[in-house]
Amino acid sequence: MKKIAIVIMCVALIAGFHGMAAAKTLKIGTLSPLTGPYAQDGTDIKQGVLTAVKVFGKLPGFDKVEVLPGDSACDGGKATMAANKLINSGVQVVVGAYCSSATEPAQIPLMDAKIIMITPASTNERLTQKGYKYFFRMPPRDDVQAWSTVQFLEKKLKAKTLALIDDKQTYTAGLTANITKFAKKDNMIKIVAHEFITPGDSDFTAVLTKLKRLNPDAIYMGVYQPEGSKMIRQARKLDMKSTFISEDAVYHPKFLEVGGKAAEGVYLTFAKAPDSPERRAFEKTYKKMWNAKSIGSYAYYAYDAGMMTLAAIKKAGTADPDQLEKTIRENTWPGITGKIKFDSKGDRKLAHIIWVVKNNKFVPYWNPITGKDL
Amino acid sequence: MAHLALKNVSKSFGGLLAVDSLDLELPAGKILSLIGPNGAGKTTVFNMITGVYPPTRGKIIYDGKTLNRLKSSRIVARGIARTFQNIRLFKSMTVLENVEVGMHCRTKSGAVRALLRTPFTLREERAIENKALEILEFFSLRRYSNEYASNLPYGDQRRLEIARAMAAEPRLLLLDEPAAGMNPSETAELMQLILKLRDTGITILLVEHDMKLVMGISEIVSVLDHGQKIAEGLPAEIQKNEKVIEAYLGSGRKKKK
Amino acid sequence: MTSTGFILQQLVNALFLGSIYALIALGYTMVYGIIELINFAHGELFTAGAFIGLIVLSALQSVGWVDSHFILTMVIVFAMAMAYVAVLGVALEHVAYRPLRDASRLAAILSALGMSIFLSNGMMLSQGVSDRAYPSIFGAEGITVMGAKITNGQIFIILLAVALMVALQLFVHRTRLGKAMRATAQNRTMSRMLGINIDQTIRITFIIGPALGAAAGVMVGLYYGAVRFDMGFIFMIKAFAAAILGGIGSIPGAMIGGLIIGGVEVLWAAFLPSAWKDVTTFTLLILVLYFKPSGLWGQGDVEVRV
Repeated sequence: MKKIAIVIMCVALIAGFHGMAAAKTLKIGTLSPLTGPYAQDGTDIKQGVLTAVKVFGKLPGFDKVEVLPGDSACDGGKATMAANKLINSGVQVVVGAYCSSATEPAQIPLMDAKIIMITPASTNERLTQKGYKYFFRMPPRDDVQAWSTVQFLEKKLKAKTLALIDDKQTYTAGLTANITKFAKKDNMIKIVAHEFITPGDSDFTAVLTKLKRLNPDAIYMGVYQPEGSKMIRQARKLDMKSTFISEDAVYHPKFLEVGGKAAEGVYLTFAKAPDSPERRAFEKTYKKMWNAKSIGSYAYYAYDAGMMTLAAIKKAGTADPDQLEKTIRENTWPGITGKIKFDSKGDRKLAHIIWVVKNNKFVPYWNPITGKDL
Repeated sequence: MAHLALKNVSKSFGGLLAVDSLDLELPAGKILSLIGPNGAGKTTVFNMITGVYPPTRGKIIYDGKTLNRLKSSRIVARGIARTFQNIRLFKSMTVLENVEVGMHCRTKSGAVRALLRTPFTLREERAIENKALEILEFFSLRRYSNEYASNLPYGDQRRLEIARAMAAEPRLLLLDEPAAGMNPSETAELMQLILKLRDTGITILLVEHDMKLVMGISEIVSVLDHGQKIAEGLPAEIQKNEKVIEAYLGSGRKKKK
Repeated sequence: MTSTGFILQQLVNALFLGSIYALIALGYTMVYGIIELINFAHGELFTAGAFIGLIVLSALQSVGWVDSHFILTMVIVFAMAMAYVAVLGVALEHVAYRPLRDASRLAAILSALGMSIFLSNGMMLSQGVSDRAYPSIFGAEGITVMGAKITNGQIFIILLAVALMVALQLFVHRTRLGKAMRATAQNRTMSRMLGINIDQTIRITFIIGPALGAAAGVMVGLYYGAVRFDMGFIFMIKAFAAAILGGIGSIPGAMIGGLIIGGVEVLWAAFLPSAWKDVTTFTLLILVLYFKPSGLWGQGDVEVRV
């Protein structure tokens, strides 16, 4: 009896797999930190893709679209493991990862497996300089971001001295290295200090007090949002006079929430978001779908990555990686983060603008390309 | 009525019978010494009385009530305190604190009261300290009250152990080799101390190897060998008892034969 | 900023962080002292305290008590957080540690790790994965001494931390239960012989240690402005290092250890390249353990000085 039962179960299982294969499913994987300090951004990314799948609706040629979330945890090892897991589950496209230091190692197995990978968040420029055919990036690169920062410091703030803080990760270290490079080239700003913190720490008073004594015109916070929020609070408590400027990883509603009054007057670099009916429709759907009061910055990029993927598969009529890659690259796609057009390396032509925190909101402030106030 | 009575008590550890059908009666206010060669089961008897482990068979009756399944802490509260063969003082507490801890079961203040510092707690803590100092006075240890216990001379540490046991206000005191490691003058002092304790009305059960001490102060001597009681009586009788002599010198004697 | 002001400011920074580490380290050391177990779930108890503080404080803020009854609000927030976590601590001991008291050390450690994961995930599910903002109670107001700025919040928290540590010292040295606790830590068998209820003593340890951790959790929330389900981890590592450095099992050791770890972390970053801050902290720990394996205040044997 037992043997017969086992045989029946095996047959049922095989039949089940066969049935699943017969029903044509598109599998999109996501890679983002679902645990650890950056879980908020990671969850935003996952939810952005899920929202896109819901909004896009029926995909011709497929019975259903499935999203498989992977946890990259902002860690190279974990990201590689999660990527392999997604490959084994048969995903055709991956949206991810978040931290550049997780995206970089995860590229290797995904590119080998010929899987289209679209990062909604990783901005380290190295990622698109390796000649990977199947890799695309939604947000602008860090060298662009660093250039915008330096332009702002030189032309708008007219800062003479600058201190840098970063947390030694690929993304943040890349940013401070680029800022140093651009500042040295122009030779208008003197970098008076470069300090380091540890991701996950809460207390930054030692480093801040050190910078308070140097009193530079501006201080650059090359960190992620959780550390950034705490750092700015401590800086204000120390009565620091310097102007604080930060980047796209700190550009998050949580920075306003945790930073509170302390966040006022902080400048940040982030791509300009065009106001469009589609963007507003997305915000409405997202807030309703996830019962969210605010929307994390990377949910927008993740949504665009999802929508573009589905549109491209529809247009190409297949999820075959080579045809899909060609279709994505050769067309211009609409997006809530602006028009999406990739160059040969997989980067978009997207520029940053400078934002300022005013009345607990991110407000457009200055455009580094035109040199004009916004 | 006997103060403490062991009725047909046995204890086995696995296959080893450490105490075998032991009957023992200790009348109130007397000093009884339990002697016997190493491994005779003396310490096992102490451990059963103080609830370290229960007897395998038999009954231990104290003041008419059985102690068999009580926890050590309950037994102390009933009025039985003990000392150990090896010194077990709280080395990094002061002499005074050691005695104060000994009074634990006679005092009350719980956590809430202690945190709130109620007048009751404060009064009780003052009373504890005064009482502890009195006890130290009795044992001539008062001058050391604020020393760490580990800094005391050996003989004084031994006395402190007894002082700490007395802090629990026992009516029965179990002393496990109190003279171990003492020099003759210290042992003589100890004899006086034990007699002085007995005179305050306390019953004493003593395990000791120092025969001079045993014969000098005991009112009854019980002899154990291989878990069995082989003799009992006045010190003078025991000293002449053939069985006892054999138990102590047994194997050597047989070899000589 | 003058040099004196700079040094003074950094010392205040160090004292502040060190006090937080010390409060958390006390929980490790007390539990270890009494049952020779590293309570790996202590970091989660600390986080739970921060969350309870957040919930209570938000509620009181919404009815306007923070402005109208500031002191009372603080008392309620700390008392509720400490009480809740104390109950959690006692439950933890009862469920996860007591049944294993006579089992192998490894089983108890696994149980502790399991509880840590369980509590951490529980908080993740109930409180979310991201930072939760603490109401801003303390602004930037404060006093300036020789160029060093000390905020009211820092003063309040340092004073409270010191008061809690003094209260703990008085408790273990002056009270009947405190003495029983020290006696149990030094020799459990003997303590039982003296009529001390060991279960009760262990329970009290699991009330005090977690309650102090909870207080530290609320302090972290109040001062740094945000709490997250996994924030216990980094603090746990530092506080654990502090407890080991001071000699695990020793109460003064944990306090001094906390101040040393906090001090080294801040002062190294203050005067030397900040990139090496954590490396230095743990190198120091290794050096101390190399020359004095039982820690600065440790006794080196099973007996523990409290």
